Amino acid sequence: MTFLDRTTDARRFRHWEGHMEADYIYTSGLAGERFFVALRDEGRLLAARCASCDLAYLPPRLFCERCFAELTEYVPVPPTGKVAAATVAHVDRAGRPLAAPEVWAFVTFPGIHGGLVHRLLVDPGRARPGTPVRPRVRPRAARTGTIADLEGFEPVA
Amino acid sequence: MTERVERWPGVELSASDLVEGKVTSTRFRPNAKYAWSAGEAMSRFLAELQEGRLVARTCDGCERILFPPRMFCELCFRPTDAWTYVRDTGTIETFSISYLDKDARRIAEPILVGVVSLDGASPRMGLMHYFGGMTKDEIRIGMRVKAVWRPPEERRGSVLDISYFRPLREAER
Repeated sequence: MTFLDRTTDARRFRHWEGHMEADYIYTSGLAGERFFVALRDEGRLLAARCASCDLAYLPPRLFCERCFAELTEYVPVPPTGKVAAATVAHVDRAGRPLAAPEVWAFVTFPGIHGGLVHRLLVDPGRARPGTPVRPRVRPRAARTGTIADLEGFEPVA
Repeated sequence: MTERVERWPGVELSASDLVEGKVTSTRFRPNAKYAWSAGEAMSRFLAELQEGRLVARTCDGCERILFPPRMFCELCFRPTDAWTYVRDTGTIETFSISYLDKDARRIAEPILVGVVSLDGASPRMGLMHYFGGMTKDEIRIGMRVKAVWRPPEERRGSVLDISYFRPLREAER
């Protein structure tokens, strides 16, 4: 081996393996806190509203992206939304194959700016944009104040 | 400037707010595994230490014997050429009488540390190590020393497979 060759596998030589402890706790922020507490305690979705721009943001923001005003008004998200885009995942976040494919969707709501990405609770063959859906919230005892308090979105029967 | 600020903007959170779940949060542990390699030259250097030998690399360009070994010559900018061994005797280049231990704790009896240039390697090529078998009043630059090796079963392929360097005895010259 010359010094122009590159060693890409450290294990070929004497080596030490380790694991970087880079744990972190990411807080929700002021607007996120309102959103997750309402989801956890009341099982409902909130959007932050800017009255002067007549815009409601989902997920809620602390400031209006259009006029930069601080947002203090929160409005409930309409009960029924629509699948804006859907995809079928065959691998997990680490790239490992999934035992069964998962359907994920971006769901928007009438009169609301933004939307939520979450599981779409349908068979992979039935993942279609335009499907009317509603959130399926986990039982109160199972909710912890994260986005996983939503099980996903299910078609409106 | 800052003394005129009575209150900083923002929301202060304490550790207990997070631990007791007073605010919502997400925890994440990245899968940040790594393998740190000693590289080709140092891997062999450490393996040879375990066998009680000190290995070096020769450079045909500048005709130096590089110790500790490296795979390229920093003067010639070319790969080094061959493995060779140097002796475990040498000369103290520089030393320090340290009243701090390796964890920077204060100690009453000083430890002696310094750089030894080894016989058989090019001038001023050597390694940093501990000195023993001498007092802080006896140690001096230019002193001839010899490695004190740990017993083979205690060696780990580490630079500490040598315990320390002691004064070279008259009969060993």
